[in-house]
Amino acid sequence: MDKAVLSRRSLLAGGATVAGVAALGAGAAAPAEAATASIKKVVMYRVGRFTYSSRTHVTTVKSYTKVTVTARFVGSNVYLMNSRKKWTQIPYTWSKTKKGLWYNHYLKLKLDAAAAVAAAQNSPTGGYKVVAPATFASVSTYHSSSDWARHLLRRAAYGPNAAGLADVKRLGYAAWIEQQLNPGTINDSVCDALLKRLYATPMVDQSTAIWRVNHLIDNGDINSWEQYQSVLTDLTIRALWSKRQLLTVMEDFWGNHFNVTIFKDGTAESRANYSYTIRTRAFGKFSDLLLAITKHPAMLTYLNNRDSTATHPNENQGRELLELHTVGVDTPYGEDGVVNAARILTGIGVDSDSGEFAYQPWNHWVGAVKVLGFTHSNSTDTGGEAVVTALTTYLAHHPATAKRIAHKLAVRFVSDTPSDALVTMLAGVYLKHDTAIAPVLRALFSSTEFAHSIGAKVARPYEHIVSTARLMEVQPVLQNLDAPQQLWYQADNAGHNPFGQPFPTGWADTSDEWESTACTLARWNNAIDLVSNWWPSDWNRPALYDLAVGPALPSTHGALIDLAATRLLGQPLADADKTAVLTFLGVTASKALTQNSAAVTYNLNDWLSVLMDSPYQMMR
Amino acid sequence: MTETTTQQTSTGRHVLDCCAEAERASSFSRRSLLKALGVGTVAIAAGPMVGMRAAFAADPGWSGDTVVVLSLRGGFDGLSAVAPVADPNLVSWRPTIALPANAAIQLDSLFGMHPALVALQPIWNAGNLAFVHAAGLPEPNRSHFEAMDVMEKAAPGSSIRTGWLDRTLGLHSAGSAFSAIQMGSTSIPEALVGPVPVLGMESISSFSLDGTNSTADRNKWAAALNAMHANAPAGLQDSASGTLAALNTANTLATANYTPANGASYDNNSDIARALKNTAQLIKANIGLRVLTIDLGNWDMHAGLGHVDYGWMYNNLTELGGALAAFATDLGSTYLASTTLVTMSEFGRRVQENESNGVDHGWGNVMFVLGGNVTKGVHVKMPASGNLLDDANMTDGDLTATTDYRAVLADVLVNRTGASGADVTAVFPGFTGSTLGVTHT
Repeated sequence: MDKAVLSRRSLLAGGATVAGVAALGAGAAAPAEAATASIKKVVMYRVGRFTYSSRTHVTTVKSYTKVTVTARFVGSNVYLMNSRKKWTQIPYTWSKTKKGLWYNHYLKLKLDAAAAVAAAQNSPTGGYKVVAPATFASVSTYHSSSDWARHLLRRAAYGPNAAGLADVKRLGYAAWIEQQLNPGTINDSVCDALLKRLYATPMVDQSTAIWRVNHLIDNGDINSWEQYQSVLTDLTIRALWSKRQLLTVMEDFWGNHFNVTIFKDGTAESRANYSYTIRTRAFGKFSDLLLAITKHPAMLTYLNNRDSTATHPNENQGRELLELHTVGVDTPYGEDGVVNAARILTGIGVDSDSGEFAYQPWNHWVGAVKVLGFTHSNSTDTGGEAVVTALTTYLAHHPATAKRIAHKLAVRFVSDTPSDALVTMLAGVYLKHDTAIAPVLRALFSSTEFAHSIGAKVARPYEHIVSTARLMEVQPVLQNLDAPQQLWYQADNAGHNPFGQPFPTGWADTSDEWESTACTLARWNNAIDLVSNWWPSDWNRPALYDLAVGPALPSTHGALIDLAATRLLGQPLADADKTAVLTFLGVTASKALTQNSAAVTYNLNDWLSVLMDSPYQMMR
Repeated sequence: MTETTTQQTSTGRHVLDCCAEAERASSFSRRSLLKALGVGTVAIAAGPMVGMRAAFAADPGWSGDTVVVLSLRGGFDGLSAVAPVADPNLVSWRPTIALPANAAIQLDSLFGMHPALVALQPIWNAGNLAFVHAAGLPEPNRSHFEAMDVMEKAAPGSSIRTGWLDRTLGLHSAGSAFSAIQMGSTSIPEALVGPVPVLGMESISSFSLDGTNSTADRNKWAAALNAMHANAPAGLQDSASGTLAALNTANTLATANYTPANGASYDNNSDIARALKNTAQLIKANIGLRVLTIDLGNWDMHAGLGHVDYGWMYNNLTELGGALAAFATDLGSTYLASTTLVTMSEFGRRVQENESNGVDHGWGNVMFVLGGNVTKGVHVKMPASGNLLDDANMTDGDLTATTDYRAVLADVLVNRTGASGADVTAVFPGFTGSTLGVTHT
């Protein structure tokens, strides 16, 4: 068959087909064979129960129903006609001994992977560019369907503020996202100046070599606690004021996917550099990020791989590499997989003097290794690093990893229960682009499901307090950076220190994990304290009156509430909610409003806090 | 803010100076050690909505005692609090800080209680106080962080990441919003980390919306927040109404002008006394309290432990004894019958004093068990021969822990909360020790 015909169009027209021996998860489909197609009535042993070994790829059919079907054969591929009268390949092959079609689960897995790729190719842009969705829709009565700008900023940023809204509207949906995916092109001078203050001598910025930070701590120039805290303050400064918002959101995301619990013993000299490592790879290929994380001294310390030796391998990092970082616990790598992964990882360690990564061949376990479909002779102690690279590349490209990362991103940005179709599409984009993340995000933000998910997520404590601070238009003071530091303490108080989840799992991103009474009350109080400027209080910020009311005072209380809601939330409150606020203030809608009214003086912080504690701001 | 020094271990890794951290752990402030560890209120959906009426009803999912776990942070020196005064070695190990036999409040033929704990003497006499001595981790661990981690997770050698109290609560159906409480601070200890929701509060009166100063204020806020959640998704709505109900209950309790019973007197200047007073009030309010934890530090007495009648240990024990005694008195026999309080500490301290008239990190320790169903006595597994503090019976200069701390906790769970053998295994995987009889059914 003419290779020129193998354009995307021909593949889409014919349906993705896979010959029996194509590699699992490969992006390109094998060419449709030129062999003569034949159609005949045959026996099919329609499978009921079966077992499958992921190690040997052998399918054992336990039960079946014998039926007669009309099948089309092209080479070894078998097709049945589907309900839309299209020949669709089925995971059955011709069995000579049984003289009928016999189920092959390995083939099914490959067909599924190819279908994912095809789905990606069917998506609006397949990850190549952002296309603004045609329509937006809200799933919440608290959020307007038409306010796509606030929706975008509640998801791809830490919430709307005046500058953010202006940028989004000026650039438009697609261009704003594209710019966010290229953070180096964004002028971030305000945030840069703040970070420079954070890293004023004796502190050093996150890109500093670990050995140098180690040295500064040894000398007593830098205090370990302050070094750890700087990681959280850095994140919070960015979340509040950086224009590179999506990058910051992704630092938070990857920082939890690859959790190294902050303040964990032994990572004082490496944890800041770890954040830097994440940020510089946040939008690139997951395989690159995974390798850098796997070899980073912070991770090697946190999951004990630096102590792992050939004679006594420590399985902690090997296990989490599979369970948490890549394929996930539902993939049958088995205890064997963990043992082998741990063996492969032996030798990647840390030099005790400098704290830097060091490959230590004397620690490396030598011998054939196998993890899922990955095998390697691993025959020399000096060759271990290459095996690690090969393993992480394999794992990054595994369809289960693609699905897990796609699912996590969908939960982060779309809803707690994203559809299978969306996840499959995103996984396909991931694989098609060699595990690159930026295309996945492009496809995600182009999707109808994202556009129709306005108001679907609940703000976790850190998100809630940071977005409330952004709404309050807080700005830093000249003298110190106490306020952002106090802000993450407040989130910590509510159970959400952004890098503080005590286990390698990282924080959950679904609302059910954050519904306790303690967490709810803490979020409410955090907003009250912030709005009222009780704690933190070291900000430069507009007066609440200027924020909520502006230059023209309305003449009634009802109009006041409409105005403030529109200014802060982008829309007036629903009637029942407006009534609730009026009742709270002890007034009627028509009651006259003056400059001295309680509602714009000593009660202003109260009812604005009520708004911040309501679903209007608790949901995002 | 205390300056922290860092030390390098032999592996070249930076370890935060243990004692500066122990100092941080001692305060009830927001910047506690546990918060710094990032232990937070990991939780899932709140339990069923707790209305005013339901809040004061019985708790059908739990028929056991209210279990109060008092963690003495920093490494409590059990050999000062409950000293083997009749052991011939004590004074030679601790020439300046040993508890003198003639000053001790005699408990049995070997042990005497520190006189600063005199407030507990009536509680002891009434049979509501027991001790387990030479208790500790199965393997010595003299690092604050690690020992607390191992002790509170109580699942050594496994990848289990929850705390033992969370697993204990997980054996039962969900309770009220008040079923698990950390009193005195909002940071939740590792023992309670896990899916069961936990309330952290500095006090009953602090459990309120900031800026509300009266019941009228609170009702106003509650009405507004309730109304505005009317169209929220179920989970958010439930958590809002659950929180408002809990706030309502707390407000009722806070404004009730609580009067301790039986002439009990709590020191208003003492954090632990305040925390226990609130605990007693919560127990009596019958709002479904099952487990309550309190932290009390600082016990990390590396230097200047003090003298039998003044100094650091004396002050700390006076405060502790006074608070515990007031608590027991306040509860009275009715409520003590369904309450068990147990103390824990990450490790005991060295037998021999150091050159700074203090003691360094050790192993075996004493655990207090207070309640209406304890078996009075100092329960200890003595060495096969010789004295407790003979060098040969010690381990690297430490009191050998001859009783696994889990045996004490399992004893409480089995006898006082109806746990079965399988339950004990679920809470303490890998633990096969038998119960001691320090409590009884």
